Amino acid sequence: MRNDGTGPAIVSRALERTIVGQEGVIEGLLLGLLCGGHVLLEGPPGLAKTLACRSLADALHGEFKRIQFTPDLLPSDIVGTRIFDQRESAFATVRGPIFANVVLADEINRAPAKVQSALLEAMQERQVTIGPQTHPLPDPFIVMATMNPLDSEGTYALPVAQLDRFLLKVDVGYPSRAQELAILERFAIADAPVIAPVATLDAVREWRAQAHSIHIDDALKRYIVELVVVTREAQHPAIDYGASPRATLAIANLARAKALLERRDYAVPDDVRSVAPLALRHRIGFNFRVSNDGGATRVLESLIARVPVP
Amino acid sequence: MAIYGSAGLDASAGLRPVAHRALRSFTSLLLVSLLAILLTATANAQSLQRLTVTQLTLTADTATPRIEIPFHLIVTAHVREHITELDNLDLPILAELELLGSERTTVASRSGSTYREIITVVAHHSGAITIAPVTLDATDARNGKNFRYSSNSLTLHVAGPGAAIAAAGNAWQGLNSFLSALVRLALILAGLVGIVFLVATLVRRRPAPLPVVTLAPPTPIVRDPQTSLREALTVLQRDRTRAGAMRARHIVRAMVGATDAETLADVLRRPLATDPEVRNLLRALERAGFTHDVDVPPAVAAAIAQLERMTR
Repeated sequence: MRNDGTGPAIVSRALERTIVGQEGVIEGLLLGLLCGGHVLLEGPPGLAKTLACRSLADALHGEFKRIQFTPDLLPSDIVGTRIFDQRESAFATVRGPIFANVVLADEINRAPAKVQSALLEAMQERQVTIGPQTHPLPDPFIVMATMNPLDSEGTYALPVAQLDRFLLKVDVGYPSRAQELAILERFAIADAPVIAPVATLDAVREWRAQAHSIHIDDALKRYIVELVVVTREAQHPAIDYGASPRATLAIANLARAKALLERRDYAVPDDVRSVAPLALRHRIGFNFRVSNDGGATRVLESLIARVPVP
Repeated sequence: MAIYGSAGLDASAGLRPVAHRALRSFTSLLLVSLLAILLTATANAQSLQRLTVTQLTLTADTATPRIEIPFHLIVTAHVREHITELDNLDLPILAELELLGSERTTVASRSGSTYREIITVVAHHSGAITIAPVTLDATDARNGKNFRYSSNSLTLHVAGPGAAIAAAGNAWQGLNSFLSALVRLALILAGLVGIVFLVATLVRRRPAPLPVVTLAPPTPIVRDPQTSLREALTVLQRDRTRAGAMRARHIVRAMVGATDAETLADVLRRPLATDPEVRNLLRALERAGFTHDVDVPPAVAAAIAQLERMTR
């Protein structure tokens, strides 16, 4: 594995220069980028979620689009539409904001199911159909969706099947006092600094190929399966249903990406255990017995701790 | 016959209105009952609050309350709606506890409302007490269906009379309990002394036993780290495969006191793994255990070299 400072860690370092703290968000975005998966960010407003996504696009010299989800949004507002051109006497295709490398779907749960479906279908298929034509989405294409856990009025909860399409979910927390002080010093008198591109989209495609070739030993594969199965078979009173096999694939992919970030060409148990909560948290049906103050995380940690490390 | 028959006819004619009246009364009663049941059901359905329940828990401020010392049971419910009261919250029957009082609060926040009821109770008997779950009947605001939410149950272990004596304010009651406990203890001791005396008498009548050689108590085996390192080196030199590396890794992990639930990051935080040489060895063995098949021989060689440096 190369250790010449040109790996994906260069993007991480660039983001850290703009965003104070939020190491979990930065790592989550990079893992999503390296796996070609989509990221769900859940956290209160004002925690630099949008800034992180915009900075990622800037660092990659990619195109960034932000869609603010509202109850009156229509599918065509996302994917695009066909408008009649009187001069040409024909319908012209107008592409929607989904045609970008990094798409930020802000407050995804504020739009009705029809719009959510349009976005999630595009996320899955990586192409959209406008009228008679099917258009491939750019590569790399990554959707970062945000959800605000504080407001529930006027929201449409994402169905389980749609949540499952997100590779990982990051819970965005408040910064520490020292970090908040640093934010004050960095942004009080100036806007967020613009990140200069540090990598190209071609480099991203190369990193993805490297991530695919990361070795996962058989013992580690069994460990991943056990981590997912324990969520289904533990019969925990706070869990209604466990994670699907898609979680197994997600953990394996994320562990590969994590190993790449650590500049290794093989994954180790630490990689698996550190990414497992990111892939499992939103795929498990926690019920009302889980308290709001991190109860689900504690339950998940206890389940993960039950599985012996190879 | 004709008269009999006629009389019979007359008699039946006289009975018919009575039967009809009875039938009518029964039907009316049935209808009223059905109506009452329907009205009750409708009233119940209408009285349920539309809620999105996100939390319903039952906790106690202590897992081991003392006998005769009041403690608190805490019911916490969180709903996404803004409410002032929870209407259909059913508390369990606290048969083994005496209820001293309760205090209810409802706090509204941006995320909804948090209802908290603190119930002050006292236990009069020691031992385990299981408290049934708290239930909440509500209409799920998301789908409009009626639902009975149930909290966790709670098992408490009430500490015995010794603790009660120490804690109770009533000195006479405590002294009485203490004295009766002392008497019981004395009786048990007397019984034990009697049994020992009887056994000793019986043993003395037997022929003299052979001299007994008293062995020193076994001392716990404390493995020298060097022994573990040499063992790991031997294992790895004999079996230079991934399986051999995993066995050697197991020996070294055991040497630093790691458990099955720990990854390398956890193991490196252990006090016995602070030595840089041990850390390098753990990392080398991790590589040998999980790297590509092609990379296994050089990884094993690196681990052997590290082990040789440490056992020299």
